[in-house]
Formats: sequence, structure tokens, C-alpha cells
Amino acid sequence: MASCAVDGGCASDYIAIAISAVCFILLLSRLILPFAIHKIPLPKRSSFWIPVIQIFASFNLLLSIVMSVNFLKFEKRHWWQSCYAWAVWIEAPLGFGLLLSCRISQAFQLYYIFVKRCLPPIRSYIFLPLILLPWIAGAALMHIKKPLNYRCHMGTQWIIPVVSLHAIYVAILVGFTGAVRHIEFRFDELRDLWQGILVSASSIGVWVAAYILNEIHDDISWLQVVSRFALLVTASILVLSFFSISSSQPLLSQISLRKREPLAFETMGQALGIPNSGLLLPREPAPVIDPNEPLDKLLMNKRFRQSFMSFADSCLAGESVHFYEEVHELGKIPVDDPVRRIYMARHIIDKYITAGATMEVNISHRSRQAILTTSNLAQPNLFNDALNELIQLMKMNLANDYWSSTYFMKFKDEASLRSHELQQMTSWNSPTPRLSSVRGVDDPFHQEQEP
Amino acid sequence: MLSIVIENMGLLCSRNKHYNEADNEENAQTAEIERRIEQETKAEKHIQKLLLLGAGESGKSTIFKQIKLLFQTGFDEAELQSYISVIHANVYQTIKILYDGSKELAQNNRETYEISSENKEIGEKLSKIGGRLDYPRLTKELAQDIETLWKDAAIQETYARGNELQVPDCANYFMENLQRLADANYIPTKEDVLYARVRTTGVVEIQFSPVGENKKSGEVYRLFDVGGQRNERRKWIHLFEGVTAVIFCAAVSEYDQTLFEDESKNRMMETKELFDWVLKQPCFEKTSFMLFLNKFDIFEKKVLNVPLNVCEWFKDYQPVSTGKQEIEHAYEFVKKKFEELYFQSTTPDRVDRVFKIYRTTALDQKLVKKTFKLVDETLRRRNLFEAGLL
Repeated sequence: MASCAVDGGCASDYIAIAISAVCFILLLSRLILPFAIHKIPLPKRSSFWIPVIQIFASFNLLLSIVMSVNFLKFEKRHWWQSCYAWAVWIEAPLGFGLLLSCRISQAFQLYYIFVKRCLPPIRSYIFLPLILLPWIAGAALMHIKKPLNYRCHMGTQWIIPVVSLHAIYVAILVGFTGAVRHIEFRFDELRDLWQGILVSASSIGVWVAAYILNEIHDDISWLQVVSRFALLVTASILVLSFFSISSSQPLLSQISLRKREPLAFETMGQALGIPNSGLLLPREPAPVIDPNEPLDKLLMNKRFRQSFMSFADSCLAGESVHFYEEVHELGKIPVDDPVRRIYMARHIIDKYITAGATMEVNISHRSRQAILTTSNLAQPNLFNDALNELIQLMKMNLANDYWSSTYFMKFKDEASLRSHELQQMTSWNSPTPRLSSVRGVDDPFHQEQEP
Repeated sequence: MLSIVIENMGLLCSRNKHYNEADNEENAQTAEIERRIEQETKAEKHIQKLLLLGAGESGKSTIFKQIKLLFQTGFDEAELQSYISVIHANVYQTIKILYDGSKELAQNNRETYEISSENKEIGEKLSKIGGRLDYPRLTKELAQDIETLWKDAAIQETYARGNELQVPDCANYFMENLQRLADANYIPTKEDVLYARVRTTGVVEIQFSPVGENKKSGEVYRLFDVGGQRNERRKWIHLFEGVTAVIFCAAVSEYDQTLFEDESKNRMMETKELFDWVLKQPCFEKTSFMLFLNKFDIFEKKVLNVPLNVCEWFKDYQPVSTGKQEIEHAYEFVKKKFEELYFQSTTPDRVDRVFKIYRTTALDQKLVKKTFKLVDETLRRRNLFEAGLL
């Protein structure tokens, strides 16, 4: 007992390592399963990297505890087994600090979008390293001062600043979460957020206690064994529960994880419960369409819009019509429901507005900047300028060709079948110059943006 | 990101027909489809595929319109009439850009850009119309208002700084013809249609034969026009297979302007990067390149006032003289830059593809006709060469 307390390798140590391994595997599966089961396309940028970085940080945290607190029995000979590498660098800036920084940057995004109602002023790839800086500075300081003893423990005068740094970051996270608590989220983010915070806070309590005991009393051997067991087990639970806290990308992490309702939503509009969103109902009467009416009026009609959209898609110019439709759906959300409006607005911005978005629309620099730097994501005329530009674009580019296309013929036939009144068209008999023989891959928008 | 595109492109170009042989019925269907595709390709084999590529506002669609005029039936009455709303929209948008622009500039320099008080009211009214979705038909009164505002000294000063404001090239032309455009029986002329600015989205195609009636002696071409803004370019790759020649338009006059879709990027720099990217496409290993150094008419006016070296790519340019000589010198410099870029971006295994540079003004019908004859000749010679006859 006495010897394993000092050198490592007690029975309880192996149990703790086993538990942490299980936790880590669970953690990995939570990341991968949604993609593997539901075949969700990989998200881009921060929504993809932040979870991955979290996993990486969690792994570092667990491994650094195992390596630095004498769980395993081996002699320290090699330079890479150095206390400073594991107990300082990998535990703090690459482990706990990185993990909390990820969560804080997500909470920060949520805070900005739903409380401040505008897009975050700093991109997460800048924000993350920025709030990681104190950790790096602290680690560097310890590296220079070399306060650790041969068992990787530090004295009381070091414990206080180290623990308070840990505590400050937890407090920041709780603070941001508290700031968004009055918002009624669509996808139960807040409930998950509080559950996560509760579990993490209690395990952080146990963890900190174990950490302090382990560091200070390195002469009492039973306390060493018990505290390091508690240290690793609570760290594992912490890491797992932490990852399960909802992130700022609710559609992906929430809907896909709820197995009872597997991806029932095809559009964001449906997910948000916007009435009359999605497919057409067959009983809806087909209207009579007059090509002389302005296009923006005609597009209000759903059946016409569908026909026009398939025509535009065939000309590889469909993104404008898709954008119109989603903005139209946004318009159906009442103004006094800012949260749903923000969800929809963000969805539209991510899909159509940001440079390099999957279905980026052809709008001017000014309109794009006006949307991206808006001070209120919930305001009703956020997309008006962009929409006006695009309706002009559709009018000038697509309208004339549409009237002479087979899509319009088909639409007219359907309409006349339904209403038994054939509408005579004015002479639009010029041959359509739109393409007839372009054969491409099925999804015209799956390509990445080039230079 | 680029590498993904290139990878995909590689897939697209060397698309091998791997079919699943699990189902017999499916196999029969596949064979039928394959037979049809083969038939179609045989029928289309003699059709030469031409692509018009280039950044936004480089004149692709103007060339496209010219080809329609030159080698097809041209524009019929209905088509001409459909341009009325486009031209009127151009007028309203232009005057709105200028008025809003002068207001912005006046914040720093009241003296030069402050619009005279009697014209302010007109300006507000026109700016409001320009922001609307459905423009009214241009009446004589509206035309008079626009003309008054256009002649305002502040607006003229603003127009002189049009390169910072995304003012369309057609602004001056339409402003000088306002009275004619406002006529109740106005029907656009060919020239009006050529000047009209429409930002293209998606893909448009026409088929034509430069010789016209005598089909046997002429090649049949299918010409594709595309949008040039960044979001449009990702659609291009769907056209990249089996291209005989790329007509790459580069507006030489735009060396002091910024992109419509990103005002932090110089248009010439974008064109440089774009040309480089197009040249390196795996699909274009054997494709001929016709580089149209377009908008020479604007270039020759601009280059004497705005030095070429405002653009980073031309910063080592030194003007030598004045007048016509200077214009030629500047043009030759630009041409040399593009030539160098071509040879830098062309790997040794592709050196035998054709590369020609033409000086064009897409609005000039005679010039475009002449240029296209040269292009046609080059391509036919190339075909004979390929067939081993030359």
C-alpha cells in the first residue's frame, strides 16, 4: 500500500484509468455517431473545429492527470516524462484551459447572437487563442520558476493562483450562461446547458478538493491514493458531461442526437415550426398567372415559386429563388418572437450571405456587409436590400427565359387542368437561350469556393 | 480549398464509367443510356464548345450579345422591348448610386460634393425610386429631373470618382440619351442593348456558325456565357468538360476599380488570380485560350489620367511619353504582363495549346466581328493540325 501510493499502480488506480478510458470512448462516440448514423454533412469552420478541439483538450487533460499524478508505475527517465510537460503544459493550456476556452467561446457566441442580437465581433479562431493566453503565460511562468518537486507537486503558494485561474474560467462560463438564461431557446439548449453546468460545477468541486489534497499532503499515502482516484474519475465525468452541453449549433448537435425524432426536418423553416413550410399540399388551387405582373408579386405564390425555382435551378441560378423562399418564411415569424427570427436569420446568413457559403447569392459588397454587421439580427428588414438586388437580378436574367421555357408550359398546363380555363399567352415564341445540354454533378452547389 | 475544387475537377474530366453490375435489368438500361449518349456525342462531335470566362463586368455578356447580333437573327422587336425595363433600371440605379455617393463624399468635403439645395429634393426623390423594386416607366418629367441632377457639379465630381462607387460603364451613354429613352414610343437600338448592363447569373448558351447559311464550310460553335462574380464561378466547372476554346475576358480599364462583390479587392488583381486558376484547370490541358483584353475604349481615355501603377500588379510601370504613344505603351505593358502570366501558369506538358491575345472593345461591332473571324480561323487551323492535315 505504502509503496504503490508513492510509485503508482494501486488497484484503485487501474480502476480509475479504466473509467476514464470508458468515458473517453463515450465522448468520441458522441462526436462521431451523429455523422455516422444520420449521414449529416460535416459542418464547416468553427462549428466543426470547436468540438474537435474539445475532444483533443479532454484527451490531453485525462492523459496528463494519468501521467503526472503517479498512476502508473514506471521510472522517469526520459525527457518527455518530465513533470513540466505533463503537469504544466499539457494539463493547463492544452487541457483544462483549452476545454474551458472552447466552451466560453461558444457561450460568448450564444450571448452575442441572442442577447446582443448581432453576429459576434470576433471570429472564434481569434477569440479562442486570445482567451487561452493567460493559461499559456501561466504555464510559461511555472516553466521558468520550476516550483515542482520530484513527484510533480507544487507548494501551497503556487496552489492558490493555479486554482483561482481554474475557478475564474468556470466563473466566466457560468456568467455567460447566466446572461443568456432568460432566452427561450428552440432546441432545449438552455436546459442542457444548465444540466451540464450543474454536473460540471459539482464535479469541479470534487476535482478541486482532490487536486488540493493531492498536491499539498503528499506525505499521507492513503490520502494520495484516494485523492488521485477521485481526481481522475471526476475529471472523466466532467469531460463527458461538458461535451454534452449543447453548443451554439443546435440543429446539428440536438436534433441529430435525439433518436426518437430522427431528422424529421428538411428545412430550417420546418424545424422552427413556421406554418405552411416545405412541400405543397395537393389540394391547394393552382392560380392563374399573368406574366405582366411584377415578379416579386408572382413569387409570393408558392406553386409559381416552385415552378420558377426548378427552372432557375436548371440554369444553375437557383440560389436567388431559394434565398427568396427562406426570407419569405422568415417573414412569417412574428416580430415579437425574436429568438425564432434570430435562428432563421442566422441560418440564412450561413447558407446564402457569408463569402463562400454553400449557396452564396450574387449581391453587392455593401448589402453583404450591412447584413453581416447588423446591430439587430431580429429586425424585420434585415435582408431587404439583398432581396431587392436579387429580385432585380432574377427579373433581368431569368424572367423572360422562364416565360418561354417548358417549366412555364408545364405550370400553365397544370393550372388549366385544375381551373379549366386556358390562358392565352401573348407571343413569347423566341427560342430560349438557356442551356439545354449542361450535364453536371447533381448538386450544383457542392463545390467549394475557388480563389 | 482550391485543391478540393481541382480534385473534383479531375474527377469530372476523367470520369470513367464504372457501373454497378449487380442488376441485369439495370445493366440493360445502362447500356441503352450509354448507346444514346454515344449517339448524341457523335452528333455533337463537330460542334465546338466555347466558354466565355472572366471576372464580373469584364464584358462576357456583351460579347455574347454581339455574337447573337452577328451570327444569329439578332434581336427581334419583342426582345428589344424587353430591354426597355433593363435600360430604365440602369438609369435609375446609376443616378441613385451617384446621389448616395455624393452624399457620402460630402461628409468629408462639403465644398466639392455638396449638392445644390434646389437639386437636393430631386435627388431624394430619385434615390427613393432607385431603391424601389418596381421602377416606373421613364417619363419626360423624370428624365428632365435626372438630367438636371446629372448636370449638377457635385454629381459630376462624384462621377469622376466613379471607380470607387461601382458606377456601371454605361452611365455616361444613357445619361446623354435621356430624352430619347424617355420617349413614349421608345424602342431600344442595337447600341442601347449592347450598352445595357445586366449582371448575369447562371449559364446561358447559343449555337451559331460564323459563315451563316453555308453550313458545310463553317464550324458550328456552341457558346456559353456565365456570371463572373465569385459566387457564380463555382458553377463554371459544370461546363469545363470537352471545351475547344476558352474566351477569357479581362477588362483592361478596371485597374483602378474594386470588385462588386468585395470592395477590398482590386479588379485587375482578381482577374490575374482568376486567369491563373483557369489556366491550371486539368480540363483545359488541350483547350485553346483566347484572351480578350477588353474595354480598350475606356482604357485609352483612362490611362492618360490615372497612372497604370495604381494597380499592384503594374506597380513597376513607368510612363514614357504622352498621347497616343503613351496609350500604346501602357497597353503593351499590360499585354506583356498577361503573356508572362500565361507562360508562368502553363506547365511544360501543355505548351502546345493555342494562346492568342486580342485587343477588343466589346461594344464595337466591327471589331468584334473581325476578332471573331480571327478566332474562327485559328480554331479551324488548329482542328486541321490535330487531324494531321497541316
